[in-house]
Amino acid sequence: MRDDKSDFLKGTLDMLILKIVALGPIHGYGIALRIQQISNDVFQLQQGSLYPALHKLEKDKLLTAEWKATDTGREAKFYSLTIKGRKHLESEVQNWQRVSGAVSIILSTAE
Amino acid sequence: MGWDPFAKKAARDRELDAELSFHIDQRIADNIASGMAPDEARRRALMEFSTVDRVKEEVRDLHWETVVEGFYRDLRYTLRTLMKDRRFTPLAVLALALGIGAATVIFSAFYGVILNTFAFKNADQVTAFYIVDQEHPRNTRPNLTLPELVYFREHNHTFQDISGEFGGFGSTPLRTLFGAGTVQFDGAYLSASSFDMFGMTPLLGRLPNENDVKSGATPVFVIGAKLWRETFNSDPSIVGKTFVLNGVPRTLVGIMPPRFRWAWVDAWLPFSLDQNEIANNPELKGQWAYVVGRLKPGATVEQAAADLNLVAHAYARIEPRLYPQRFAVTAKRSSQQAVEGLGFAQLLYPLMYAVGLLLLIACANVANLLLARATVRAREISVRSALGASRGRLLRQFLVESLCLAFAGCLAGCFLAYVGIKVLRPLIPYNQFPQEAVIELDWQVLLFSISMAVLSTVICGMAPALHALRRDIRSGLSGTGASTGTGAAHGKLRSGLVIVEVALSVILLVASGLMMHRFVQVERTDLGINPHGLVFAGLSFPPTIKQTPEQQRLVFERFFNKLRSLPGVTSVSSTVTQPPFAGPGSDITIPGKVHTQRWMTALELCNENYLATLQGRLLRGRFLSETDVVGARRVAVVNQEFVDQYLAGENPIGRTVKFNRFDQVPALKDQFFEIVGVVGNTKNQGMSRPTGPQVYLPHTIMWSGSTKFIARTAVKPEALLPDIRRIVWETDPSVALINATSLDDLLQKYMYATPEFEFITFTTLASIGLLLVLIGIFSVMAYTVALQTHEIGIRMALGAARNKVVAWVLRRGMKLVAFGMLIGLAGSMATNQILASRIQGIQSLDPWAYGSVLVLTLIAGAAACLAPAYRASKVDPLEAIRYE
Repeated sequence: MRDDKSDFLKGTLDMLILKIVALGPIHGYGIALRIQQISNDVFQLQQGSLYPALHKLEKDKLLTAEWKATDTGREAKFYSLTIKGRKHLESEVQNWQRVSGAVSIILSTAE
Repeated sequence: MGWDPFAKKAARDRELDAELSFHIDQRIADNIASGMAPDEARRRALMEFSTVDRVKEEVRDLHWETVVEGFYRDLRYTLRTLMKDRRFTPLAVLALALGIGAATVIFSAFYGVILNTFAFKNADQVTAFYIVDQEHPRNTRPNLTLPELVYFREHNHTFQDISGEFGGFGSTPLRTLFGAGTVQFDGAYLSASSFDMFGMTPLLGRLPNENDVKSGATPVFVIGAKLWRETFNSDPSIVGKTFVLNGVPRTLVGIMPPRFRWAWVDAWLPFSLDQNEIANNPELKGQWAYVVGRLKPGATVEQAAADLNLVAHAYARIEPRLYPQRFAVTAKRSSQQAVEGLGFAQLLYPLMYAVGLLLLIACANVANLLLARATVRAREISVRSALGASRGRLLRQFLVESLCLAFAGCLAGCFLAYVGIKVLRPLIPYNQFPQEAVIELDWQVLLFSISMAVLSTVICGMAPALHALRRDIRSGLSGTGASTGTGAAHGKLRSGLVIVEVALSVILLVASGLMMHRFVQVERTDLGINPHGLVFAGLSFPPTIKQTPEQQRLVFERFFNKLRSLPGVTSVSSTVTQPPFAGPGSDITIPGKVHTQRWMTALELCNENYLATLQGRLLRGRFLSETDVVGARRVAVVNQEFVDQYLAGENPIGRTVKFNRFDQVPALKDQFFEIVGVVGNTKNQGMSRPTGPQVYLPHTIMWSGSTKFIARTAVKPEALLPDIRRIVWETDPSVALINATSLDDLLQKYMYATPEFEFITFTTLASIGLLLVLIGIFSVMAYTVALQTHEIGIRMALGAARNKVVAWVLRRGMKLVAFGMLIGLAGSMATNQILASRIQGIQSLDPWAYGSVLVLTLIAGAAACLAPAYRASKVDPLEAIRYE
């Protein structure tokens, strides 16, 4: 039996990650910081779910990763978007906008 | 470098470690930068990852190696918990093993006897047919004249070939010189193309073919593997040698494989189906051949019957005297025909259903046990689930557990099946099975049983897991299964299973009780003689050599004198009977007696040592004396039954009796025999039927042509057989010793083997059934008690006495047993009617069997309830309530 609620949230997290990575190669910690920043700390990102999500995206070939030196000189794993990932992101964003648009219409007309 | 999936995994693990430690270090640095103390910074950073390990694990879960590793981990966990659970595991494994073992043995027997009777190539194409008189359907003709067979072969469209056989089933003794004397074995004539038609590969040499029966060709023959082994000592050099069979030289061209026993003989002589040969060869003239054919690929038995029907009607116009007014041809697979009328083969059908049910019940038992276990473990599941084990993980663990059980059960089941077949095979009654059939552990059968067991275990194992998981985790944590309810439907199903188990077990037990009763009766039957230490055998004289009865008698007497002085032999007599059956019968006339019914007696022709040899009892007068025998005096000894039936209340000694059968013998016509003695009854109509009247006469009154003899030995009878054969050949090399065996062996083979076999099979099945019932009742009651621990606790807290609790559990258990027994008894009545119709000497209403089964089942039921009842009585009320 599938748990629809968590799938929904997971999908959202995937989308956020892809969106952030789309701006340029970035490591996991950077992604975590960015999500908190962008969402004004609305998303209290459980670090526990970030890395599984990252690795899943990598495994699905939506992200690629390479080890590179950071500004401080320490090696970190940098993720960047693949072509497949970019396409996936575009369709997800469209999908999201359609759904959220529909939801807000329903919410506003129901008032 | 080799491909190592785990090396890749290790690399990935290292990478993940590095990535996560980078994250943590980075967070620490940021935390310090924002003004935290280093310790606090570290603590906060680590807190973010609830546990680093869990994150790692979740990432790892994405890769398949983890699945394997997880399986391994689950396996270890499962093994540990299974080993710890001393109550559950052995019961589940035992139930499975018994089910698989019993099913495999019986299915193998069924497969070997019914489905795979013959070892022919594409055996299901081999089809027998016969002509049925439609006005008298009991009149069937399974054999054709040779010209008819030729016509059928040529004019049918559905058979590749049709084979003809005559002279089989012991009607053609073949005699040949071998070693120091003459050996005799049974042969049959088989049309030359039959060997190719059956399509079996010879053990040695080649198959006969049509070239061997062309005019001018050297006559050939083949022998069976058993004869080759027993008489010719498996000597490969005899192939190609020429033997003089009944005076005709024939070359032995091949040894047939062990499973070729066509017509139940040991040697096969090819004959020609050429029209000229049939018309001119005196051996073939006027013969009727039993027929069997091989269907063309794709042809059905029905098509064959329809086809042959046309052929037969066409031939009926040529030879109308062979056919009834209205007739039709019926066709049947040879394997089907072979088992018809063979008692045990027929019995295999009900046995197979029984054992199939046993397998199902074994599986149901395991399901019950697993269900009970899952309920008891509901808390564990809830806790694990709450701690973050995913549904998939938990299911996987249940799957592993089920598989472990199934595997252990299968392993034990295979072992049981192997042992079972090994034990069973020597017990198989020789005359109750098609001789071609072999029973061995068949891997297809085993595979079937195993897959059934694995499948059912896995399904049964997963069902409670799903069931347990579907429940809300939180309710599982706060309460036990009892309150959330495991479903009344489940409870009914379980109780239903137990009832069915008990019912089936009662049916099997009653059947085995009947078998046991019959077996004991047969075993205990007093033959009236001492059957141990007796040799039975016969002499066979050459028909080709001109030997008058007088010459034969002289040879026989010379042999007798030698046999008497053979060390180990204590006494010898000639005989025409073979206990427990009498010899030929005759109508009798007793002067002064008038009767309306037919008065009959069995005749035994013997010498003065007969009674002493068999160790029978003399009741009145005397037995035959040497003078009687030497002088061929007209005296007779009768058995008690003879006196009881024909001379009741009179003194039989001195009375005379005439045997009407002898009227055909000129020397004995109208001769009266004086009764000189009465002996005790000895079984003469088989083991179960009452003894009939019998008389003992000096064998010298006529040379009956019967040359059977009986010898009492002081040593093991079988040990003397080679010596006896030697002295036969010393007496006259042209005489063969035939059917030499011990009476014990004969009785075992023909009298005791079948009841013993049926008794053992049924008793084994019934014991398995009973064991499964024990396990079944135990598991259900244990489950019930586990479910109702809370209720029991409350009752006890409210003042219920412990013995009340025990009684409560017992009552619930025994209710199921009682229901099952009632159904089982009804089932027994029906089944036993069938058994009684198929098996001789079984009474369908045997109070002894029914009574003992009821008692046994009640005891077993109560025993199975006791452990759970005891457990229930030990429930600590406080604990139970707190637990809830």
